This record gives sequence, C-alpha cells and structure tokens, in this order.
Amino acid sequence: MSTPVLVQALSRIFYDEARGELRAVDDVSFECRAGEVFGLLGANGAGKTTTLRLLATILKPTSGTASVMGHDVVTAPEEVRRNLGFCSSTTALYPRLTARETIEFFARINGVPAARVPQRVEQLVQRFGLQEYADARVDKLSQGMKQKVSIARTVAHDPPVLIFDEPTVGLDVLNALEMQKVISEFRAEGKTIIFSTHIMSEAEKLCDRIAIIHRGTIRACDTLAHLRAETGQHYLEDIFVQYVDPAPPSGPAALPGPRPGVGP
Amino acid sequence: MVLRDRRILLSSIVLPLLVTPLIFLGTHWSIQKRARSLRQMVYHYAVAGPDRALARSVLSAARELRSHPESVVPASPPAKPHRHRRSNQEQPAQFRFEELDRAEPLEALNRGEVQLVLEATPGIGLPGSAAGNAPGLKSRDDPESEPARVGAPNLRLFYRADRDESTAALSEMQDALDQVRQAHRVALLHRGGFTYEPARMAVVHESDLASKTQVAGLALGKSLTLILLVFVLTSGAVVATDSIAGEKERGTLETILTSSVNRVDILAAKSLVILTIALIITLIQAGNLLVYIGLKLLPVPPNLAAAISPGVGLLLVIMFLPVMALAASGLLLISGYARSYREAQMYFMPVLLVGVLPGLAPFLPGLPLRSVVALVPVANIALATREILIGRFDWPMIGVSWIVTALAAAWTTRFGVRFLSAERLVTAAENDQVSFQGGPALFERQVWRWFAGLWAGLIIISNYLEKADLRAQVLINLAGLLFGGSCLMMWRYHLDPRQALALRLPRPWVWLGVLFAVPGGLLTSLGLFRLANLVLPVSSKMTEGFNQSVLPPGLSSFQLLIFLAVLPGIFEEIAFRGLLLHGLRRSLHPAALALVVGIAFGIFHIALFRFVPTACLGMMLAAVTLLSGSILPAMMWHGLNNAMGILMYKQQIPETELPLGCYIAGVGILAGAFWIFWRNRTPYPDLRRPTSKH
Repeated sequence: MSTPVLVQALSRIFYDEARGELRAVDDVSFECRAGEVFGLLGANGAGKTTTLRLLATILKPTSGTASVMGHDVVTAPEEVRRNLGFCSSTTALYPRLTARETIEFFARINGVPAARVPQRVEQLVQRFGLQEYADARVDKLSQGMKQKVSIARTVAHDPPVLIFDEPTVGLDVLNALEMQKVISEFRAEGKTIIFSTHIMSEAEKLCDRIAIIHRGTIRACDTLAHLRAETGQHYLEDIFVQYVDPAPPSGPAALPGPRPGVGP
Repeated sequence: MVLRDRRILLSSIVLPLLVTPLIFLGTHWSIQKRARSLRQMVYHYAVAGPDRALARSVLSAARELRSHPESVVPASPPAKPHRHRRSNQEQPAQFRFEELDRAEPLEALNRGEVQLVLEATPGIGLPGSAAGNAPGLKSRDDPESEPARVGAPNLRLFYRADRDESTAALSEMQDALDQVRQAHRVALLHRGGFTYEPARMAVVHESDLASKTQVAGLALGKSLTLILLVFVLTSGAVVATDSIAGEKERGTLETILTSSVNRVDILAAKSLVILTIALIITLIQAGNLLVYIGLKLLPVPPNLAAAISPGVGLLLVIMFLPVMALAASGLLLISGYARSYREAQMYFMPVLLVGVLPGLAPFLPGLPLRSVVALVPVANIALATREILIGRFDWPMIGVSWIVTALAAAWTTRFGVRFLSAERLVTAAENDQVSFQGGPALFERQVWRWFAGLWAGLIIISNYLEKADLRAQVLINLAGLLFGGSCLMMWRYHLDPRQALALRLPRPWVWLGVLFAVPGGLLTSLGLFRLANLVLPVSSKMTEGFNQSVLPPGLSSFQLLIFLAVLPGIFEEIAFRGLLLHGLRRSLHPAALALVVGIAFGIFHIALFRFVPTACLGMMLAAVTLLSGSILPAMMWHGLNNAMGILMYKQQIPETELPLGCYIAGVGILAGAFWIFWRNRTPYPDLRRPTSKH
C-alpha cells in the first residue's frame, strides 16, 4: 500500500508586485502514515496553509511533487480531492442550507453514490449529535454547531486523508476540546490526519509526529519525544523557539539527528 | 438555494414585478392625464406689433372656420394640418384660444400668463422685437420656419419651447392659421374666376410597399436584442455577483474548491444558474409586458403578433441562446475578478453600459448584416434579429452570426475557467512568474490582446479614412498602426527582432518556389473566392466599387506598386507572419497556427467579401514562413501577389470569371511550390510539437 501522503521537495513561489519573489514553501518534504496525526507547527505566515493548499490542489506547486493516496496533486487533482477532506477556519458553510442539506450536498458532489447518500447523512447527523438542528439553516446555528456541521461535511464522502488547517481558531475552550476529541476518533479509525496549528498545547496533545515549519522550510520533523531528546527542552514552545530562532548559539544547524525532510 | 436569498428574490423578482407595473401605470396615467388636460385647455394669447387689427381679423376667421367650416369656403378641399396629421375621421378641433390684453405681451409670455404672442408687422425687413431674442423665447419667424413673403404682412408667433402648454398652443395655432390661409387662397381663386375642379387636380397618395407585418417587425426587431440584453444583464447580475464574489466573501468558495468537483463543472453550473435565473426573470418580465400590452397600457405597433410566427419565435430563441450564454459568462467573469461583493457591484454599471452597446447596432442607419458587423458578437445577432423580423432570411449570414456569437460565448466560458483558477480566487498574490517577469513569455500570453486592439483601431481609423487618399490610408493603417503596433510590442516585451520577425535567409531554392507560388496562390485564392460566392454571393458592382476605391485612376503604376504591393508586403508581414505567428507559435500546433494566423489576416481586411481570399493567402504565407523559418519568402510572395492583382486589374483580366481550368492549374502550381518549400524546409524554431501535451 502506498504512503497516504507523500511530499517531496515541494516549493511554491509567489510573485507579487509589492513584495517581489516570495518563497512561501521552500523544498518541503515529509510523509504521513495511516492512523497518525501529523502536526504542522508554525507561526503565522510560516507556510502551513500554503503547504496544505498545495496538498488540497487549490494551489499548484512551482516545483517538487506531492501525492495523496498515490495520486499526484498536479496530474490527478480530482482524484486527490476525492481522497481528501479539507477543513479550515476559512472554509465556511453555505448559510442558506440546512445542516442536513449541507452534508447531503457535499456527499453528492464528492461522489458518494446517490443510493447511499441518505444513509450516510443520517449516520453523520447521529455521530455529531446534530439531530435537533439538522433541519435548521446553518446561519441560525451556534459556532460550536457550525463547527460540527463543518466536520461532518468534510468527512461526508469518508475520505482516508483529512486535513485540518487551524480548525480551533475562533472556538471556545469547550468546542476546541470537542474538536480535539473528534480528531482523536478519526485517528482511531485509521485515517491519516494532517493537523496544522500554532497552538503548542494542541500539537503536544494530538500529534504523533510534528514538523516545525518556519519561513517556508521544515526545520525539524520527528516525534515529540525525539524532539525533546534532541533539543534538551521539555516544553514544545522552547523546542519550537530553538528551531526557528534565526541565530541561536545552539540552534538547529548545530543539532544532531534527523534533518528537515522525511522523518524516521 | 438561490431562491432562499431574500436579496435575490427581492431585487430580481419582487421589485421588477412591482416596479415595472408601477412605472407603466404611472407613465400611462400621467400621459393620459396630460392629454386630457391639453384637450380641454383654453390657451391664452396676446397680440403685439403695429398691425394688431390684421392679427385679430385672421384669428377671427380661424375661429369662424373652426365653428362653421362649410359656411366660409364651401368648395375648399380639406386643409392639410401643419404640424400634426389627423385622420380623416377626426372632427375639426374647436378654436380654443382666448385673447388677453397685455401691455407687455412678451413679458406676459415669460411670466406664463399667456401661452402665445402673435406679433403682426407690415412686411419683412423690419427689425424683430428685441425680446424675441431673449433666452427661452422662440419665434416661428426664424429661418427654420417658412420664408416670409416680401410685401405681405407677417404674423410672428412667439412661444416658449420649455413649456408644454406653449408648444401645444403653437401647434394648434399653426394648424388654425394654415386652414385660414388655405381657405383664403381657395376663395381668392374662386373670386378670380378659377373654378375648383377636383377632377383636374392630381392628388398625391403615398403607398408603402412594406407590409404592416414588416413595419411592425422592424419596430420590434430594432429593439428586441437590446431589451433582452438589458433584462439578462440586470437580472443575471445579482445572481452572478453572489455566485463567486459572494462566495469569496462568505468563505464558501474554498470549501467548494476543495471538493472533488472539477473547475469546469463548477463554472458551468454557476453559468447555468445565472442563465436559468436570467431566463426565468426575462420570461416574467416579458409576461409582465404582455399583460400591459393586453391592458392597452403599452402602445405596440399593429400586426406585431403576425411578425412573430411560431417558427420565427423558435428561430429567435435559438439566436438568443449564445447571446444569453455570453452575457452569463461575462457576468461570471466580473464576479470572479472582483475581490468582494461590493467591488463586483461597482463593476456592474460600466459593464451594463458597454454590454448593451452591441444591441444598439440595428438603430444605426444603413448598417447591413452582410458586412463586417457579422463578425462582431451580439451586434450581429441584433442585426440578424431585425432582418428575421422584417422577413429577410439571409440564411448564410444568420448562420455566420450565430456561429460567431456562439464561439465568443464558448471562448468566454473557456477563458473564465482559466481566469477563475482556484489560485486567483483564494490568494492575494495573483501575479505569476510570467506576469511578474514580463518579457517574451508574457507577450505569448498577451498577443491576442494586442491584435484585438489593433483590429479595433483599424475599424475606427477606417471609418474616418473612408474618403481619404489611398496613400494616406496605406501609410496610416500599415506604417502607423500595424508597424507602429509591432514596434511597440517588440519594445514592451523586449523581443529580439531577428527572432520575433524570423529575419533569416531561407535556402536558395525557396525563392524559386515563391515564383511558382505567386500565380498558383493567387489563382487558388480566386477560385476559393468563387466557391465562397456560391454561399455568400457578392455583386460584381461591389467588387468593382472596391477595386475603384483601392485602385484610384489618379495614381501612377509605380505609386500603386509601392503603396499596394511593397508596403503591405513589408508591414503586414511584420505584423502577422512576424509577431502574431511568433506569439502563438508555442500555444498552437503548426497546422492550427497557419490556420489561425490566416483567419486573423482575413478578419483584418474588414470587407466581408474579401475574407476568404485574404484568409487563404494569409494561411499560405504563414505556411511558407513555418516551413522556411523565415519571413522573407512571405514578404516577397505577398508583394508579388498584390502586384499581380494590380496587373490583372490594369489589363482588365476578369480574375473571378476565368475558366475553371485556370483555377485547377493554379492549385497544381501551388502544390508544386509547396513541394519545393517542403524539400527545402528549415522549420521555424521553437514550435509546439504536434505530440506534446499541455
């Protein structure tokens, strides 16, 4: 079986009249395995969202390759998206559809056979506890309920790979915890999950492996235990700072062990 | 889902349904009320000038004539009203004027106390009243009105053109005075011994050979496309704005773009939604109009229904489909281009104004469908609609119009798919590497824009230069526009002239091939012209007229050769086989490249009947450039081709009426020439390979 997500030397350059040539993603490589939560940890503007958008085929890479379930993001973008669920704080829902209609719509357009759609919708309504609000318009729902509907529509076609791009932004503590719980459940089901965040505690709690991304490059990629061992730091904040600090006396350049790229 | 949006429901359906009847009802009520009031109104006038008694006596006669028309001049023929023709059945109107005595009549007119002032003067040559030149005051004694007779007393009517009542009073008064004059003339003739003998007088009748259906069809045909465009653009705009700009703003666009649906399907679905909503709203509005027509709130030409038979109706629906598709795609492009809902709304008004312009084509007098307008999307459909409703079914041109507009719609949709790429929709940094770095790669992307601009410029300049000297036309069009535009392109994109213009020496045998290709190509083009004539017949008068305008008798043969052979051979080749071919070389297969460059060359020759021979020549010239890798053979071929055309005209050789064998021989010679080109080919560098996939 092929690696669910494989990224090799992926780069994306933006050309902007004001800023000139901007390397948003620069020679990034990593792979994600089935049944793991892979964390992309980085500050705002580090290149997390661009990397994930390249994987979701919204953007095209300038160079390098990436594949999802063996399908190349450039040559087979529709196949990639069929195997992918993408949820971010910027992917909104249609306010004039009801929760049930939303799930049904995304199940249909993502290729779930028509006969299976009602059953799948009902299954997701039950799973996310939406029974009471299933026929209410999305714009009438609370933020927490909207987030549930959003996750339900992301997994409407039961994709093997899920991308969560800072999904807890704007959520209160309870809803953020609910989100973390749902992601853990998906991992238990054997799905491959890429989870981007700038919140260290979330990454510590959820991620099996963490890639620290800064200025478009991956500075480190390993399990939390290995990162601790390599940096001698306990807290992820300290580990993170040690890797991204531009001129630390004992910065990443001096660190032994695995280098940016494919982890162990 | 669309119908759950209150904004769309309100602005596209509810408001038009409520507002349109209110506008019509209001207008109808206002017009009726005004007409009633004017019918019942008694106008006031004042008399001025030294000969007031004369004015009063004339007015008294007019009053008498209106009250007892038979008593004054029993045998007089009915007077012809001056301003407004009345039907024969209409009763003569009452004389609804009352004199008011005013010391300053013109002041009274300005103050609105009277609607008219009659100034009676003994004869012409007398200076007019100084007040007659006051702002807002108009006199009916101006040069636009009838000339005054020397020696006869003058009646000058002062009125205010800025007041309805005054204008209406003037019209009424003129009719009345005309009747008086007519009656006096007949009475004088009668008294002088001239008997009124109707049998000896010729009565002029007008007879319109156009049927009422055709007249009604013309009235409708002129405006139908325009109305449709306004309906489609206004009703589709709300949905279009919501469908991409609105989705961007709400954040749902990224959601849909990460689903497995492909971009073409997304765009097609959105286009269909816009089209469907626009169609429904257009039908609602049309139904609305029909109700008002039925209730006689809207005047329509008689026999309108007869002008639209079911067959014609079906044909019109088919004709309008590409127009609607084009409008929907255009709206979607705006929506995609805008970064927000508000920005899209800002673009809408200018787009509406520009978008309806082609719909005005039928209003331009003397603009036939069988002209270059047939190649202008939407304008051609508007003209074809007019022709169809008049009953002139020019099937080849109707077909050409439909195909051109359908192609434009397809191209806009295709362009939209590319333009609305996911990247542009979700990232702020929209400049890609090519746009950012500019140079030759950007030229390849923008070459069509330049040639579209050059074509538009050529059309505009040609209109101004229609009557200008041939030399001026050639210099401005070729040296100014085409060569100037070519230089500008090379400068703007830093193109190396040697590469962009393919300035290389071909193999020597190619020159021999050109010598064969010139007669062969000319005969082949003329043969194709004759074939095209079977589908799009061109009168010999038209070609003769064109030849005379292009080959004026005043120019020497040397000048003709310079201006019609040498200069086009250089400048047109630089533009078409030089820059256009260079710009498209990597985006089209070589065969398609020759075809497209030829078609563009044909379109630039404006006159529709010249399209086939010039496009054919353009393709051959592109082919020889591609085979030889050099523009020089094409330049020589082009120049010699034109020189040979001039020679044939000077020698009065009937080039389009040669025996069939000549054309067949021409094809054979051309084939021989291309065999030489093929054997000595040094292909154009950096072409797109036929097997490559992009």
